[in-house]
Amino acid sequence: MSSLVRDPRGGYGRPKKKDQRSNFELYSWFFMRISGLALIFMALYHLTWWNLIVGVEHLDSGLVRERWTNPFWRLFNVGLVSFAMLHGLNGLRYSIEDYVRRPGPRVATKAVLYAIVLASLAWGIFALLTFNPAVPGHRA
Amino acid sequence: MATVHRVRGLWTALRYRGREGMWTWLLHRATGLGILLFLIIHVIDTAIVIYWPGLYDHALNLYRNPVFRFAELLIFFSVLFHALNGLRIIVQDFWPGVMRHQRQLGLAAIGAAVILILPVAWIMLAPIFHLRDEPGTARHRARMQARQPSINDYRGPAAPTTTAPPVTEAAP
Repeated sequence: MSSLVRDPRGGYGRPKKKDQRSNFELYSWFFMRISGLALIFMALYHLTWWNLIVGVEHLDSGLVRERWTNPFWRLFNVGLVSFAMLHGLNGLRYSIEDYVRRPGPRVATKAVLYAIVLASLAWGIFALLTFNPAVPGHRA
Repeated sequence: MATVHRVRGLWTALRYRGREGMWTWLLHRATGLGILLFLIIHVIDTAIVIYWPGLYDHALNLYRNPVFRFAELLIFFSVLFHALNGLRIIVQDFWPGVMRHQRQLGLAAIGAAVILILPVAWIMLAPIFHLRDEPGTARHRARMQARQPSINDYRGPAAPTTTAPPVTEAAP
């Protein structure tokens, strides 16, 4: 971020304290568009592959092991779960800020729900990155 | 300063005639939160496969209940609508001229999601009514024949065979 801002009376100077606004909402807006576009393809591919081509009736741990033996699909899933969870987390933030107006309950709601979303994201990425079909403990 | 009464209750919300803009906004939020809830459960139960594959297979057996098939279809529809409506929002953001047609575009997003879910519903629901094979059945059979038999394949004692023994023709 640039530390220089346009002074309405001409010239550039260091921002005054009250002018220092974060660009977080801009970045979050942009992230929702970028991740949303990626998710249209990634999530719909994932749903089509497992529900309409493989058939969930045929799914078992052996099939997951076959799929995850290929590092490409593990990385694809890391991308899919990261984009989906962070896109969902930001959507959840919009909803909390719409419905929970008082500061105390808002912080508490955010703390609990962010923890749940981020913990399941971490658990999912951990599973995908540490999975090793050659290790007996990981006999998926 | 006038007080703005923000929360007017459910009845006011239902009577509020926001039409297409409100319907798509409401559906977008409801489907988004629904997908997030499903996603958390889905990620947690899929990730257990690395340490507890047996538990994973047990969870999958629970999901074979037809009730879950309808829930999966609902998730599929939610993703489809959320994707199409999200695409509409992106187009409107980057190309403000089309805002003039936002009503029609909102209805188009709902309509396209409803049309696209029809073949998906047939493929996903027909197998539970025995109208059609589960997708991927041929591939599944080939895979089962190719791999080593496993104790996980055991489905209890085989049903007694009721077919008559083959009739051998008497030698002339």
